[in-house]
Amino acid sequence: MKESLLDILRCPLDKHELELEDATYDESADGDSDDSNGEDAAEVVDGTLVCAECGERYPVEDGIPNLLPPDMREESPA
Amino acid sequence: MKGQEWYQADDVAEEYDDKRFSKGGQLIDRREKQAVLEAIMPVEDRNILEIACGTGRFTVMLAEQGADVVGLDISAAMLQQGRTKAQRADLAGTLEFLRGDAGRLPFPDDHFDTVIAMRFFHLADDPEAFLREMRRVSRDQIVFDTFNRFSARSVYNWALPMGSRLYSKSEVSELLAKANLTLVDVEDDFLVPYGLYRSIPNGLASPIRTVDTAIGGNAVTDHFASVSYWNTRLR
Repeated sequence: MKESLLDILRCPLDKHELELEDATYDESADGDSDDSNGEDAAEVVDGTLVCAECGERYPVEDGIPNLLPPDMREESPA
Repeated sequence: MKGQEWYQADDVAEEYDDKRFSKGGQLIDRREKQAVLEAIMPVEDRNILEIACGTGRFTVMLAEQGADVVGLDISAAMLQQGRTKAQRADLAGTLEFLRGDAGRLPFPDDHFDTVIAMRFFHLADDPEAFLREMRRVSRDQIVFDTFNRFSARSVYNWALPMGSRLYSKSEVSELLAKANLTLVDVEDDFLVPYGLYRSIPNGLASPIRTVDTAIGGNAVTDHFASVSYWNTRLR
């Protein structure tokens, strides 16, 4: 996901804004292209999205944010 | 939601496009893309959300045409297929994929110009709730398809891995009214169900399709069409 996607993502439970923590960026993602908006164009490959209101945490997995509500997430193999 | 495990398996995702949209399936793919484009054009700079985007057939097409697209699906495997496809494509707009629940969308109210859901409502256990949630995040338009009751679809429905929910026209009209949506256009197609097209080679599918389109398109036979494409606007 591009970091700019954060602008439109909301917590699926209470629709409050999310904050990105522990982000890892894809260095190879067209840094030399004509993207002039710097950080917003950065590709986030890993990290956690945290609801500013309820504190619920949503992982970014292989570049794809997982905003399934907690009750729909598969059991992680610990 | 029906068939969730089947749909989210890695091998199903990898073979999904090949199995469904090669051979006679190409005809279906083309017809569906045409239905979506006709409903939404011009797509340039439009903010579009696709619910149940799967491997990104529509999202990639729309982003190629200049739309800013978000594709949402429940399956990580399907979305990775879409992501790979998007990286190979030449996109004029933007395209982002994310996992989420169609019933609890992770977006603010009134954000998208258009919300589309193709091949989704036949799997929906509570269509009214899903449509209401789609309406919440849309400010203008909602486009979706349904498989129809009283059609050839009914006959082979039992054989499908996910089963499916069939709708009558009046059921959909009622859903639209409850969700406060106005019908702009509805198109009916495919007297012959998708499953037959998928199972035969293109050489055979084309002549059958010719007969299908020749007989279809009038009020009587449309009643038996297996698919309807619905183009609606917010009231």
